[in-house]
Amino acid sequence: MSYLNNPAIVMDNGTGLTKLGFAGNDSPSWVFPTAIATAQRSTTKQGGSGSGAGQSQGSGNPYFGNSTSATSFNSLASAALLSNNLAGKRGTEDLDFYIGNEALAASQGPSYSLSYPIRHGQVENWDHMERFWENSIFKYLRTEPEDHFFLLTEPPLNPPENREQVAEIFFESFNCAGLYIAVQAVLALAASWTSSKVVDRSLTGTVIDSGDGVTHVIPVAEGYVIGSAIKNIPIAGRDITLFIQSLLRERGEEDTTLRTAERIKQEYCYVCSDIVKEFNKFDRDPQKFAQFIVENSEKTKRKVIDVGYERFLAPEIFFNPEIASSDFLTPLPTVVDQTIQACPIDVRKGLYNNIVLSGGSTMFKDFGRRLQRDLKGIVNNRIALSEHLSGTKSTGVDVQVISHRRQRNAVWFGGSLLAQTAEFKSYCHTKQDYEEIGPEIVRNFSLFNMV
Amino acid sequence: MLHLRPENLLVQKTLTEAWNASKAGSPLTLDRVISDFDYTTLHVSNSPDDKSILWLSIRTKAWQSVVKCGGDFAGYLKSKYNGFHAVSECSPEQGYDFTVQVKLDELDADAIVQLSLMKIHIMSYPFQLAFDEFARLSQLPEGSNASDTVHQIQYRDDENIFIKPSSDRITVIFETFFQDETDKVFGKVFLQEFVDARKRNRNIQSAPQVLFSHEPPLEAASLMAARSADKNRRFITFVLFPRHFQTPELQFSSVCHLSLFRNYFHYHIKCSKAYMHSRMRYRVDTFIKVLNRAKVDDEEEAGEQTTRRTITGRKLVY
Repeated sequence: MSYLNNPAIVMDNGTGLTKLGFAGNDSPSWVFPTAIATAQRSTTKQGGSGSGAGQSQGSGNPYFGNSTSATSFNSLASAALLSNNLAGKRGTEDLDFYIGNEALAASQGPSYSLSYPIRHGQVENWDHMERFWENSIFKYLRTEPEDHFFLLTEPPLNPPENREQVAEIFFESFNCAGLYIAVQAVLALAASWTSSKVVDRSLTGTVIDSGDGVTHVIPVAEGYVIGSAIKNIPIAGRDITLFIQSLLRERGEEDTTLRTAERIKQEYCYVCSDIVKEFNKFDRDPQKFAQFIVENSEKTKRKVIDVGYERFLAPEIFFNPEIASSDFLTPLPTVVDQTIQACPIDVRKGLYNNIVLSGGSTMFKDFGRRLQRDLKGIVNNRIALSEHLSGTKSTGVDVQVISHRRQRNAVWFGGSLLAQTAEFKSYCHTKQDYEEIGPEIVRNFSLFNMV
Repeated sequence: MLHLRPENLLVQKTLTEAWNASKAGSPLTLDRVISDFDYTTLHVSNSPDDKSILWLSIRTKAWQSVVKCGGDFAGYLKSKYNGFHAVSECSPEQGYDFTVQVKLDELDADAIVQLSLMKIHIMSYPFQLAFDEFARLSQLPEGSNASDTVHQIQYRDDENIFIKPSSDRITVIFETFFQDETDKVFGKVFLQEFVDARKRNRNIQSAPQVLFSHEPPLEAASLMAARSADKNRRFITFVLFPRHFQTPELQFSSVCHLSLFRNYFHYHIKCSKAYMHSRMRYRVDTFIKVLNRAKVDDEEEAGEQTTRRTITGRKLVY
């Protein structure tokens, strides 16, 4: 079988963004929103939704004329059988959809409605997800699933039933050659192996995964997630953006769109070691204030926006949440400490020693350093107290936060790293295994032990 | 979503990114593997000494058999990229069949599209030979214009395309094979539909005729006598008439459709499975609703007088 030479496909379907690519690459080939735009019932009953899609397909594509479009002779049947559910359709409506950025564009028009099939990391709408995968495999990755192995990701605490559903779709709809489902946190740990600070390739550590919607702190011991100790923080990328936006509005800047705030966040923000000192530094040295220029699409008008204290204040909401939110007040280092303290005592040292960052919202400069310093403070205080109370000497706990260059797509990159190894295919469940045993085969996957 | 596009979107995107980055003065460092249908792998990388030069290499299953078709294949591929200054051929990279060198400074959007069509260009060579052969045969007088040329493209492990030119038509035969039992059933319905669609719909009378059989058609029988016993094989025959390849544009679109036929076919088998699944889920949901309705409510059995509720609907417990 020559599929053995084909690169494995790594798919990381997140709540917000989907990362798709081939194992061995250093970055995902496609990153787009996990969104699908499906055709809505057209209110004017003429033509039906099928023929509309045929036209939009045909236009702008010189290679396929519309005269022999398969949809055009289906429109008669489809108009008669319109109903809200796909199951009532007899035409080609099931193919009338867009995913990713095209979906966002299509949903601007009247005939498509947008939906996000993944909520809180878990697949909610399997119909949409199946079609999302179908399109991402054939249109974007251009692969025949029969020829490739797949590595998919799942959030921690994903119910095994969901895994089985995924396996059913991948083995039965797509006939994929082999499948491995990995936990995102474990892949993020694997991605940190590229950092020079990591000496042993262990799968023990604490993963801080901060995306757009929520930040998770996930302890992993020898490749297994300690589910009972996982903690969530409702502060993540979007909150930082909103905070910057509110600061810009308060100052009355010319342009205060979310887009501008987001770009300021990405380009100018950093983490400082002490807010008071940083305020003083800004006051003494006006060089620190930056200016951000917004040009409209035709480059005719430009707006100049001052970027001030928000450069260091925005990421500060991880460490002092009270400046932005009123209901969640525990700083990130404290949450990390609580998480590790909730774990079995014999793994705690390993967890403190290997704290790995993942996700776009951990990309701020010096984020890792600040976290390490604060956490060290908390741990040292506790050690001092227990030494004082017991009268014995502690051997000390090493706190180390690891940041590396692949942080943004750490989960995907970890997947790519593992899937390109020669052993990967022996860890996968193949189609033959699936047919022999059934969907429950995916409840267990053997772990990568790369030591 | 009905059609698969002939160009590789990912090649297009990668090259466009590299081109934009190079225009902005910060060339990208690239070393990427890109895949395409039918065991095709493309590799985009920087030239080791100059960042403004990219190498694009392709390895495809069909290469060996296309080379065997004879003629000036290298010259044909070269001619596809002759018009672009940015693109020049160079010796193939280790492990790949064909490599072009792309100068980012001179790149333009047209060249990017042509580069992303590289696989189609390779597949189109035997078709081009057949078009030429047809032109030659049709000039010859009646009776002396039979030819026994059959071009074969082995595009997957044991699946082939046979192209047979003759004086009034070109016959393209796909040999295909299913790994999965369910696929076989879906495939059969689909193929039957392909054959019947033309009869049923008057608008598509100009489309090529499609035939479908379990036995190898006579045009290609000589090439596969040994394998005819296999029950899993299907043969799909397309008959192209001159109206399908009169102009270069028509030739190109015919070749695109034909060389993507298998992928299109399997894509739609998978889509219809997905559609079946969504109907099944819908059905199961409605059954569950019925079951839920049939559930006996404990409270009502117990009688009204024994349970008393507060105004918010909570049960009072004594």
